[in-house]
Amino acid sequence: MKEVAPMKNHNPKLASMLSIVPGIGQLYNRQWLKGSLLLLVTAAFIFVFYDIFNMGYWGLFTLGTLDGVDDSRVLIGQGIVAVFLTVFAAIMVFLTMKDARRVAKMRVEGEAIPSLRERTKHSWDKGFPYLLVLPGLALLLLAVVFPLLYMIVLAFTDYNLFNSPPRNVLSWVGFQNFIDLATIPIWRQTFISVLSWTIVWTVVATTLQIALALFLAVIVNDKRIKYKKLIRTVLILPWAVPSFVTILIFAAMFNDGFGAINSDLFVPLFDFAVPWLSDPFYTRIALIMIQVWLGFPFVFALFTGILQSVSDDWYEAADMDGASRVQKFRFITLPHVLFATAPLLIMQYAGNFNNFNLIYLFNEGGPPVRGQSAGSTDILISWVYSLAFENSQYSMAAAISIIIGILVALFAVFQFRRSASFKEDR
Amino acid sequence: MKKWQYPISTMAVLAVLSACGPDREGVMEELETEPATEENKPESLHIWVNDDERELVAYREIGENFERETGIEVRITPFSMGDQLEAMSLDAPAGGGPDLFYQPNDMVGSITLQGLAADIELTPEQEAGYLDGTLDALTYEGELAGVPAAVETYALFYNTEILSEPPTTIEELEAIGEEYTNAGANEFGFLLESKEMYFAYPFYEAYGGYIFAEDGGDYDTLDIGLANDGAVEGGEVLQRFHQEGYLPQNLNADILNGLFLDGSVGAVFSGPWNIAEYGENLGDSLKTAPLPTVNGNPMRSLGGVKAWMVNGYSEHISWATELAVFMTNDESAQIFFENKREIPARAEVNLDDELYEGFQEQLEHAYFMPNVPEVSAVWGPMGDANVFISQGHDVREVLEETVELIEDEIQIMGAGRE
Repeated sequence: MKEVAPMKNHNPKLASMLSIVPGIGQLYNRQWLKGSLLLLVTAAFIFVFYDIFNMGYWGLFTLGTLDGVDDSRVLIGQGIVAVFLTVFAAIMVFLTMKDARRVAKMRVEGEAIPSLRERTKHSWDKGFPYLLVLPGLALLLLAVVFPLLYMIVLAFTDYNLFNSPPRNVLSWVGFQNFIDLATIPIWRQTFISVLSWTIVWTVVATTLQIALALFLAVIVNDKRIKYKKLIRTVLILPWAVPSFVTILIFAAMFNDGFGAINSDLFVPLFDFAVPWLSDPFYTRIALIMIQVWLGFPFVFALFTGILQSVSDDWYEAADMDGASRVQKFRFITLPHVLFATAPLLIMQYAGNFNNFNLIYLFNEGGPPVRGQSAGSTDILISWVYSLAFENSQYSMAAAISIIIGILVALFAVFQFRRSASFKEDR
Repeated sequence: MKKWQYPISTMAVLAVLSACGPDREGVMEELETEPATEENKPESLHIWVNDDERELVAYREIGENFERETGIEVRITPFSMGDQLEAMSLDAPAGGGPDLFYQPNDMVGSITLQGLAADIELTPEQEAGYLDGTLDALTYEGELAGVPAAVETYALFYNTEILSEPPTTIEELEAIGEEYTNAGANEFGFLLESKEMYFAYPFYEAYGGYIFAEDGGDYDTLDIGLANDGAVEGGEVLQRFHQEGYLPQNLNADILNGLFLDGSVGAVFSGPWNIAEYGENLGDSLKTAPLPTVNGNPMRSLGGVKAWMVNGYSEHISWATELAVFMTNDESAQIFFENKREIPARAEVNLDDELYEGFQEQLEHAYFMPNVPEVSAVWGPMGDANVFISQGHDVREVLEETVELIEDEIQIMGAGRE
């Protein structure tokens, strides 16, 4: 680097403002090569993406104007892409502005300006990890953020069977879908009853499966138990069979008139057939039992792993202090196990909240309830499914999906914040 | 910026944004169709054939015949019928759809609302020869949306080892239930999936119930006849069958088929899609018959028509229509039946298998499902109503409540909200 005379008249603020068009600020800083490269890239960016910006923003505001020609769904997609590109461009502009300002300051103070080559080498060294993360981030944007935004946008339109693209263009309805959900009686009643069962289902089924897993894990981990490996393998088996196979078999076994549980167990023993599929109460019991059966092996495996890492010294020390079995469990085993597994247990709750497979495959949300369109065991996600794919209520389904998302997110944040492992991580 | 500047600049941005957008001179004219002439004859037409080996074989042969006659190549893509609509709705406007696609008549309303199918105009000669009612079943709001290819409905299968003669009246049907049902041993006189409205419909209709009132081919979706006196009477018959134990609850297709194949059921209400499996297992003791009569009138079963529809965004709408008509003429229908063994929608086709006789007879009394989109609000609630009726709830109360629910759902669907 060579010595450079300070340039008193050079204005960092002006340099930064000029870089609103990336490159001009750099040219002003007399970085000729860098400036022209940036200008070229900017021009190319605008040239290549002009159409997307043009259509995208127009589409996002109008959702199309000609019935049968403009496809609102495509326009929304282009609009979201345009927003993505705008955010990307804004970040780039901000960075070049910052760069122009910094270089201009160096000019004023007469510091040596690193050449483009040096700068490139420097940013390669510093930016390498970011470069490696980039494909992952891009994929995330495409596979997660894009559909999410798309769903959110749909919730504010009037997309239903009688107003569907491509024949009709959609229009913005603001919060109308959410208002309908809260005010139209049939929607409100159904929503409240489905939501309350969803919560009961999530809490009871998940808690029971965790409790059972903990109980079994502690027992199997006891020193006096022999053939530990065999027992563990057997207990993990339900996890190994694809769950939809198990669920369909259970659905057949629980059938009131023809299933094995009634015809081979309850009728011969108690002379009484339990209405597993026709009474809401018993259907719910059956569902919870099946979920406990399907879900405990994973938690069991988790707990077994953690239990083996609990040091024997602690129990010995506790023995010295005269602690009882219950005390040892409560103050050593339980905190240790829960501390390590809390995030995964929370995932179990979230998973059951959206456990579409079990509800749909077992009884399609049935049995029906008088005067209500959702079945008595429909949870929010299975209700959304029938709204979207059986009744073509696309925008209402999107609105309920947003509510589901918010509920799960709130629950997860609340639990993560309370769980010890999260605090530790900070 | 000062406070007053915000709204003004926002307005400015909005004005700029809505001022730009696509150039659309002449876009609407491009969608006009021309009649089929030698000049606009395409080199090839592209069709989506239901993803079924036997259907593909049939349509390959039919496609070759068409090429021999007109010189237009028929390109076939196997595509499951159930997935076609979703793909059509997204691909067709972008120009990625086929020229012809294949859908059942109960989707016609929804297809028309989405603007996916072209309005087909047939000459009187072209219209002749299709089974009665099939063209009406494909007409929605006065526009024909498809050319009928295959029809289906259910009839009675019976096992001659149990029943020497099929029941011809509903009283005989009930007598069979009384004589042969032993629920403890899983033996039944007759079975039907009564919780599915598809199979329960004949009972409601036989005594005067109806789904939507009809006036010259148009449906009045505000007039639902599923809670009138006739429907209630039909519902009570179903309820009696359940209470007497002739019909078990929670019967599904798997259980019904299993029991019938075991030879422990005298007769079942089922469709021609089961002919192959039943025939293999029961052999010569399997026979078919139309549904029994009620007060001297044949019971009307629900039916469906599968049809070739022309993509409304196709560039060769007229030639695609020609192909659709060709693929469903008597000769092609015969090829279709010999491969696929589904009943074609042509009156002249010879079905050389006595197991089809019961279905052909029943087809004369079949009621092709209404094609208005509102009908999708009927199946779910009526299925639920059938469950309540089977559980012994008051029939009139249940049906009245269900009709109210259907009316609410139709309103919520967005019908008439435009």
